[in-house]
Amino acid sequence: MSAGLDLSLRQQAAAIAAGDLDPAELLDATLARIEERNPALNAVVETFPERSREMLAAAPRGPLYGVPIVIKDEWPLPWRAQRFGAAEMLAPAAPGESGPYRALRDAGAVIVGVGNMHELGASSTGNISVYGPAHNPWNPERCPGGSSSGPAASVAARLVAGAVGADGVGSIRYPAAYCGLTGLKPTFGRSAMAGHHMAEVSTTIVSGALCADAADCRALDSVLFGEELAAGEPKGLRIGVIRGEVSEDVAPEVREACEAAIEDLRRESGGEVREIELPELAAATLATVLIANSESLGGVTPQRLNELDPGLSPLGRGLLKYRVLVPAMATIKAGLVRTMARQTLARLFEEVDVLACPTVPAVAPPLEAPMVELPSGIVTADEANVRGGALANLTGIPAISVPVGSSEGLPVALQLQAAWGRDELLLDAAEALERANGRRWVEATPPALGAEPLEA
Amino acid sequence: MEASEHTNDFIPAALAAYGIEADEIELAVIRAAHQTLWPPILELLNLDTGEVPLERDPDLSQAPPSQ
Repeated sequence: MSAGLDLSLRQQAAAIAAGDLDPAELLDATLARIEERNPALNAVVETFPERSREMLAAAPRGPLYGVPIVIKDEWPLPWRAQRFGAAEMLAPAAPGESGPYRALRDAGAVIVGVGNMHELGASSTGNISVYGPAHNPWNPERCPGGSSSGPAASVAARLVAGAVGADGVGSIRYPAAYCGLTGLKPTFGRSAMAGHHMAEVSTTIVSGALCADAADCRALDSVLFGEELAAGEPKGLRIGVIRGEVSEDVAPEVREACEAAIEDLRRESGGEVREIELPELAAATLATVLIANSESLGGVTPQRLNELDPGLSPLGRGLLKYRVLVPAMATIKAGLVRTMARQTLARLFEEVDVLACPTVPAVAPPLEAPMVELPSGIVTADEANVRGGALANLTGIPAISVPVGSSEGLPVALQLQAAWGRDELLLDAAEALERANGRRWVEATPPALGAEPLEA
Repeated sequence: MEASEHTNDFIPAALAAYGIEADEIELAVIRAAHQTLWPPILELLNLDTGEVPLERDPDLSQAPPSQ
């Protein structure tokens, strides 16, 4: 019995509201599907059926009444402290009502499980976690993306129709790209953030939705934003294509699919394409990493670093210790680069509506060795991915990843970025792209679920 | 000084200055991170930002105030 499991998030909500779908049956079917499919994926690290049933029993008839949702292991719940994918977090963690939890509860949604994530949120791959890695439903030997690995794998495997992640340096968009989903990194400060262990210090992290398509993201992000994200038509879209490494040092099939998608979007919106130079991009990328890393060091002392939990990965322990060695002057310079990048973007967004580039330059790499081959050579996936993912976190602008093709049977994604507060425009543009390609990529499902392999 | 020599000298000295211990695997990770990040950090340190006014406590939800 599928009991609505394969409906989209908004279809589930509409069917329940219309009385055509029993939310208790949907919850039971969701839990059964997690039990059936999750062992091969490790996307969901904990379920709590009684808590979920209690949530449903108390749920108001809100916009997501009865809709099952997975939430990343970055957000505390009243009955569970977040673990941040790690044996030790270096920050206080306790059960509580995080902003995303409250938003979901008040919308009537039902949290059915906690999604896996990369250890300490520190990678774009998702291949290291205290729970063991999550696997990519398109190919379980490939990375699901990080750090919101479990939320993405949960939606791609149709365990649930929507999941809540967090994005501090691309952590919603990378897994959305690797798993063939749509993922929005909201404008800084626009989505629910309360209760995050870094809410008071982070200038890069936001909560956001991962769903199959843009309309589902709009529905779930409206809940996280606490306001309706109205749909519109992106007429005459002025598309700026970022030239340089981020668009050109890219696997050939990824580049081809993204260029075709940009042309699709131009045609669908009746718009225009311009080439854009962003000479600060490399410095902005490094600045993002330095700022995000330094903001996580508040509770760290040398003694604490000498007593790290042995359950942390050697990579995690080494990187934590390296963060301390970065000179303060570099972080100060990073703040100046942030100012420069924000000023540059403010000028650019007077000339274009969206900036486009591949979300990631290559498809999901192997879990065992997350390296990617680019025209410039073989590099770590993290080194490659951060080139496109960091700018939005540094500057605060919104960004969205949209599936637009395939290579090696794995999804390929385009990233669109817009000016501050124009999250709705990105969702509109993503929907325009879906229309232009006949929704081919948002409706594709992994072969393990019985679908045909993706063809480019 | 070659980059690898710098790394070999800098990492143990810096860790020792902070009193941070690291085992061989952690040291290998730290060296690898340093070799990747240090060249762009040096570029960043040498970037001329003299004319850029630091945006103090920027409101990242909005565009910067127009100059």
